[in-house]
Amino acid sequence: MAWLEPEQTTSCHGCASASSCGTPGIGTVASRMQVRRFPLDNVDDLRVGDHVVVGVGDRALIQASLTAYALPLAAALSAGGVAEWLAGSDLVTMAAMAGGLALGLLAASLGARRLSRRGDLAPHYLRRAKPGETCGTNGERA
Amino acid sequence: MKDFALMMIGAALVNNVILARFLGLCSFMGVTTRIDTAAGMGLATTFVITVSSMADWAVQHYLLDAYGLGFLRTVTFILVIASAVQFTEMTIRKVSPTLFQMLGIYLPLITTNCAVLGVALLLVEGRMSFIGSTMFAFASSIGYSLVMVIFAGLRERLALAQVPRLFAGPPIGFIVASLLAMAFMGFSGISTG
Repeated sequence: MAWLEPEQTTSCHGCASASSCGTPGIGTVASRMQVRRFPLDNVDDLRVGDHVVVGVGDRALIQASLTAYALPLAAALSAGGVAEWLAGSDLVTMAAMAGGLALGLLAASLGARRLSRRGDLAPHYLRRAKPGETCGTNGERA
Repeated sequence: MKDFALMMIGAALVNNVILARFLGLCSFMGVTTRIDTAAGMGLATTFVITVSSMADWAVQHYLLDAYGLGFLRTVTFILVIASAVQFTEMTIRKVSPTLFQMLGIYLPLITTNCAVLGVALLLVEGRMSFIGSTMFAFASSIGYSLVMVIFAGLRERLALAQVPRLFAGPPIGFIVASLLAMAFMGFSGISTG
């Protein structure tokens, strides 16, 4: 087992004012990426500091997005629609939508657990990165 | 029911957020190099626009209108949107750390998406009921996602096409976007019969 840390390639790195900017590292995308580590099967005797290229399934991002966003939203809108049809009051509809959203998030949690168990969301090791190869240089994600 | 359906079609297709109102153009050009990325961004934006529009409606009616604070609308809505994004990020991190690892990178970018604020301000002008404004926001964001995915599909094909060097990259992207906008103008015929 190895821990994979994404490379920091944010818009900050490409900005003309990067050298004079004092904000990188404080609540930026870069600092968020630093705390985002993935477990990876160590099939190639990887050591700390090795650069590797990984890939995720074609449908992984869509599946994850549908689970995280579409499911809670569908639950909230359905609950709101039913409440509006039954009660016809803004306050009742609002409460029903909030309840639907909470239920939807619960369902999303269960769905995400199922996807994780099946390994659908996990990145897979492809190969070691070539010397000097960085994220996006050949269209692959690293 | 028919009014709702017409209003939603109008918000999604006729008055499309990107191609008719020219909002959210930075993500339109920036995140549409791959279909799955565009769809991920579209769904995340749909979620944030709908949730923040629900909160914006409550703030507008029970705070700004009630206390005559309409002049603080823009600032308040920006605060509500930032809070909605933060809430979404925290919830997804709590609900599923794995999902957060995959999708969390998109969320901070949505805070600065002008389409989110634009839709919230349009809702105030519309003076709709809670369900009406939520459905309008949902339909607007579906229109946004639809255009993002269509444009990403076109750009994926463009990447394989032989384009003259002068037009390669963003220039041909803008030309395709203009053709897509003209195609969407065809939907305006729906409103005139």
